[in-house]
Amino acid sequence: MTAVLLIEDDDRIRLSLVLALEDEGYAAHAVATAEEGLIEQRRVGADTVLIDLMLPGMDGFECIRQLRRTDDVPIVVISARDDTHDIVAALEAGADDYLIKPVAVKELAARLRALRRRSRTADAPALRILTFGDLELRPEAGEVRLHGAEVPVTRTEFQLLCELDDHAGQVLSREQLLQRVWGYDIGDERLVDVHVGRLRHKIEDTPGKPRHLVTVRGLGYKLQP
Amino acid sequence: MRRAGLRTRVSAAFAVGALALSACVTLVSYEQTRSTLFRERERTAVRSAYFDASIVAAGLASGNRNVADVLGSLDIGADRYVLVSRAGRWYARSADTDAHAAVPAALQEMANGGQAGAQRIRRDGVPALVTAVPLTEDAVFYELVTLRELERTLQVLALVLAAVAIMVAAGGAAVGWYVTRHALRPLAAVAGAARGIAGGDLDTRLDPDTEPDLAQLTTSFNHMADELDRRLQRDRRFAADVSHELRSPLQTLAAAVSVVDRRRDDLDYRAAAAVTLIVDEIARFQELVGDLLELARSDQPVHREPTDIAELLARVARAHRLTDGVVETLPDDVPPVWKVDARRVEQALSNLVENAVRYGGGPVAVRVGRCFLEVDDAGPGVPAGIRTSIFDRFVRGPAANDRGAGDGTGLGLAIVAEHAVAHGGSVTVNDRPGGGARFRIDLPEYLP
Repeated sequence: MTAVLLIEDDDRIRLSLVLALEDEGYAAHAVATAEEGLIEQRRVGADTVLIDLMLPGMDGFECIRQLRRTDDVPIVVISARDDTHDIVAALEAGADDYLIKPVAVKELAARLRALRRRSRTADAPALRILTFGDLELRPEAGEVRLHGAEVPVTRTEFQLLCELDDHAGQVLSREQLLQRVWGYDIGDERLVDVHVGRLRHKIEDTPGKPRHLVTVRGLGYKLQP
Repeated sequence: MRRAGLRTRVSAAFAVGALALSACVTLVSYEQTRSTLFRERERTAVRSAYFDASIVAAGLASGNRNVADVLGSLDIGADRYVLVSRAGRWYARSADTDAHAAVPAALQEMANGGQAGAQRIRRDGVPALVTAVPLTEDAVFYELVTLRELERTLQVLALVLAAVAIMVAAGGAAVGWYVTRHALRPLAAVAGAARGIAGGDLDTRLDPDTEPDLAQLTTSFNHMADELDRRLQRDRRFAADVSHELRSPLQTLAAAVSVVDRRRDDLDYRAAAAVTLIVDEIARFQELVGDLLELARSDQPVHREPTDIAELLARVARAHRLTDGVVETLPDDVPPVWKVDARRVEQALSNLVENAVRYGGGPVAVRVGRCFLEVDDAGPGVPAGIRTSIFDRFVRGPAANDRGAGDGTGLGLAIVAEHAVAHGGSVTVNDRPGGGARFRIDLPEYLP
């Protein structure tokens, strides 16, 4: 059973979401603060973390950053804040997806399934090594190396790289990436842009002037040596 | 009558001041030069008259009784006339016999009395100097020198000085124009900053150190901008707080009701109907909260950025699952990149499409042209009487009322209007040729 950790300070929301998630067949743990969430995740290692942004004490952004230091677990933000700044800041902190309250439980379940599908693809044995100049991609091992040194990427970032690698040299539109990586038919294209930005900081020598992961104006992104 | 601009007035004052000053200087220097030149000229004339008189006196003393011969022996130029009056008779050098008429009576009397003298006169409109030197008891030598050349020199001088005065005045005006431009430059910066703030760039501030004399203006301007920014931030925070306060209970409701909804089949029909109602109303409530927030924020300035308009259209088409062919291709004369607030234009267009879907049987065309976006439907159209009010908040057209009050939030078109106005544009509805409604968003300032 898929384990989900919910970090939410509103008692009623926490309770109702746990009920709904359990009803959907997930094993849901819930905590009220970011601090507890960090401890709980270290202890149980949930498959997915759901997190609110406005939390007492440490806020959601900081919690995501701290989780990201040690964990590549998919993180989904569930927040009442729909400001672009908040969405981009949360994604840049390391979140994989961003949902605005109120979230329909069906929608949430669909997101969790999509994330789960992606995480599983990384579990196969190491076989192929793909090189793009100084960039090395091992799709089955889930490893990315730059100048021979392993670069820590999240599962979503890795999935994004794999999709681009499958179509190396071709342009993939934001819409296609959103569909293939996040499983969205229609979604927020900022997800793609922020993830690409995050990846560039990890795999490019000069993120401002990307060499591998380039933008094709008006069309989308492509991966090249 | 429109008042002359500050720059014009300052320049005019500079010009008048410069003219007055240069006129004074010119007049004084002209007078000085004139009197000095005249004095010099007179002194020379008197000296030569005495010299000539001494020759004539010597001639007469040597016994030459013909005065004209003695006069003829003098070496004089064209502008000098010599006369001798002897015992009531006048002797001249040439045919210039009436020259004696120019000699003033007072001078004659004085000379006859044995006293030498000189007097300035005008002869035939030309200034001249008459010098009288008594030779003997009954003879007086007169020398008449015209000052025509001197006058001509003075005329030229006057002309030159007048020209200089006018040039100085013009120079004053130019300095005024130049100085005011510099003086007004900080104000141009203030105007630019105010425009920037009105256009949505709330971080615009003036540097108080650049112009110490205008420190008060820049300080109060910056204070105003800070205050405005704070107020907008407070409003925005309020909207965010409200959104949080409304969305949190909605989240609880949505999650909790989903648990019951999954078991709808186990419920009796009354309970099942009630659950359906709750689920629908939660969805509508959610929509209403979203729309209210959108409206609350719609008075905020737009964040214009270069936007691929075809891509924006494609996104809207995808979101509403429009069939191919509904979105018309961009005409060649329409630039592909517009400088608009992409999120808000997308929302506005999306609302129009949603409106067409709900009340017009779905959009039949979504079109882009130079500074406008259009959504056509083939529905019942909008009656002429409500084509303005339909964009007001919570106003529904007959098509919406036919579907009952429970449909839509009544805010969709109001949001479209707000976004259009925020872009300096407008939204209108007209009949579509062939039936239906044509909604049009005009965005006049869409180009970078």
